[in-house]
Amino acid sequence: MKSGGVILKVHARRAFGSRFAGAVAPLVLLALSGISAFAQTASDFAGTLNPLFQGILARPSDLNNTLQYAANASADDIESAIGTYEQLLFYNPTLSRVRFELGVLYYRLGSYDMARGYFKSALEMRDISPELQQRAKDLIAVIDKKLQPDQFTGFVQTGVRYQSNAGAGPGPQTVLASGRIFNNRFFSQGDWNWFGAFGVNYIHDFENQRGDTFEASLLGYDAQQFSLHQFDVGLLEFRAGPRFGIFTGTANAMSIKPYIVATGALLADTPYYGGMGGGLTVHANVGSVALDPYVEVVQQSFRNSTFYPLASGFSGTLSTYALPASGPVFSGLTWQSRLAYAHASDNYGPYSYDTYAADIWLPWNFSFPNDSRVWTLTPTAGVSRWVYSAADPMIDPTIVPRTTEWRVGLGLDIPIWKQLILGMLVQYRADESNVAAFTMRDLQVSAGPTIKF
Amino acid sequence: MGPRSRIAILLVGLALTASSATAQQVGTATAVNPTSETTPPGATTVALTVGARIVHKQRIHTTPTGTVQLLFLDKSTLSIAPNTSLLIDEYVYDPNSGSGHMLTSLTEGALRFVGGALSHQGEASIATPAAAIGIRGGTVTIIHGNNGTRVINHFGVITIHNAGGTIVISRPGFAVTILNWNTPPGEPERVAEAEISHYLRLLTSSTGQNGGVPGLKNVAIGECGVLGLHSYNCPGTPWIPIDTGESDAFQLIIQATQQGTGTSQRPRPPVR
Repeated sequence: MKSGGVILKVHARRAFGSRFAGAVAPLVLLALSGISAFAQTASDFAGTLNPLFQGILARPSDLNNTLQYAANASADDIESAIGTYEQLLFYNPTLSRVRFELGVLYYRLGSYDMARGYFKSALEMRDISPELQQRAKDLIAVIDKKLQPDQFTGFVQTGVRYQSNAGAGPGPQTVLASGRIFNNRFFSQGDWNWFGAFGVNYIHDFENQRGDTFEASLLGYDAQQFSLHQFDVGLLEFRAGPRFGIFTGTANAMSIKPYIVATGALLADTPYYGGMGGGLTVHANVGSVALDPYVEVVQQSFRNSTFYPLASGFSGTLSTYALPASGPVFSGLTWQSRLAYAHASDNYGPYSYDTYAADIWLPWNFSFPNDSRVWTLTPTAGVSRWVYSAADPMIDPTIVPRTTEWRVGLGLDIPIWKQLILGMLVQYRADESNVAAFTMRDLQVSAGPTIKF
Repeated sequence: MGPRSRIAILLVGLALTASSATAQQVGTATAVNPTSETTPPGATTVALTVGARIVHKQRIHTTPTGTVQLLFLDKSTLSIAPNTSLLIDEYVYDPNSGSGHMLTSLTEGALRFVGGALSHQGEASIATPAAAIGIRGGTVTIIHGNNGTRVINHFGVITIHNAGGTIVISRPGFAVTILNWNTPPGEPERVAEAEISHYLRLLTSSTGQNGGVPGLKNVAIGECGVLGLHSYNCPGTPWIPIDTGESDAFQLIIQATQQGTGTSQRPRPPVR
């Protein structure tokens, strides 16, 4: 301990720290022996109590030991870390960084009132840096929203996109080589589009002890091509349902949500698709992994149009079984994934299919020195396998189509100002199929601003 | 309980009697602002100091300027406000199995309990003259005064029981007031921000106090968004919409292009 103050940089390698603490446990125990009667006592707990924790019990005024313990505990024992940082706050109640860290820990517990209290108290401290001040303000704004009985969140996004194959059509050579006729208007062609999207999420908290809520969301998307207007697309989707808490307040807390879903879409500026259905989703945490499995059944209705005279054959029932999940990897890096199986039972038999899909996103948050703004780099990858139920005489009466789609992407979200983000995305898709018309490649590059609220 | 556990408990019991032949140490006073006093069982009242051993059946009392933090063997902590009196009634903890139980009696004042191994098993209780409060989880602020007992849940499941009935608080940020032992506990209500701030101020050192440990001037922690580090547990990291509808829209186009356009097969020549 330095008499003039303690500066201990505790880096984010907390898991490593825990292992290191375990490795040096015998040395710490050796050092502790003979210091005091209690230290002798502490060594008797070898293998049962964390040596750093024993150090706090034996010598609470050893600030280096206390800080090290707090940092290690932050990774996997939030409450113990809270107790330790509150101990440090007793020693100096004017430290904004300790108050901020306590806010973070209570936030992670879901104790938003306490988190807000500590963040606000951090703002009152004279030693707070501009970066920490901004971070605390941002988090207070998030908490203020979370603690409202009626919460609205959402985003608005726009931008331009170039696609090497805007209609996801096959290359002419591929089709010609197969000896089939294909509507040449839908051959692979590059084009630009303008796109806009918005999403609004609403949550009403019933303020009961189960944590029951009513949730609704509206998602809209529109893309207008510069040249190939047969691919102008608009989509609107509404979801709503109550969410019921189960085992609230315990480590096994879960929730279950039945919901309805309604979707409408325009293609080539003409009504094209309407869907209505419902589903059931569950939210649960297993360790640090969040799981949101769902089952959804949608009655789909497609409408024929000038460009798409056979679309009504897609009408039918789509059943989806999916497992979205997310969790941490290491400092700043998280993963999100989605495994899904869907079965479409369509009016025109050969259009019916089974599909299996797996996707992963790896958002990495980082920032530059002296700037609290957070950049996000997100690599993505996914694969889908489509297996149709029968050969389509309209395409090839001898082949039952089977298609595998591979997709990879890289997104970069650049913080501009407050809730304004500039997003950029590069994505490549490749569909390999035993039917020439289903084989395609598409490279897309898009950029545009997003505003969150 | 296996032989190893029994031996461990025996060792703990023997080792913790270094300065007191009879009292088993159950924790340590990790921060003390004067004036705070303690009365070990069978002994006279003395001033509490940092590092003091806390034993079973020990009484703690704080004056209008006194605050204390106690750390227990199971890693739970008690932060004690000014003008508070409490008794560590029972504390049994086996560090091998993590089992045991604790009971603290709060006769007046305020405290914040931050849970450890015992409360994770639902084996931590705090009694006031108005209610018995069982803690599973959990982190809680409890106040007892002339207006009865107030229980504020910060995390976990808090079960409040008295002669009037039982009520459970399972959401953070909700509180219950219990007037006396014979009156049923009220329904949980959301806590006002000002009340949270009040007890945050009350349950730590005041400006100028140092909890008995001088010299902590500054601390650099790798917080979220500071020093270029971002822990995975950073709250509020920017939310980026992954589902913007683009994927669904593109899927519609793929399907429409490949199958819905009237793509047709050239009639096969007759087989000769």
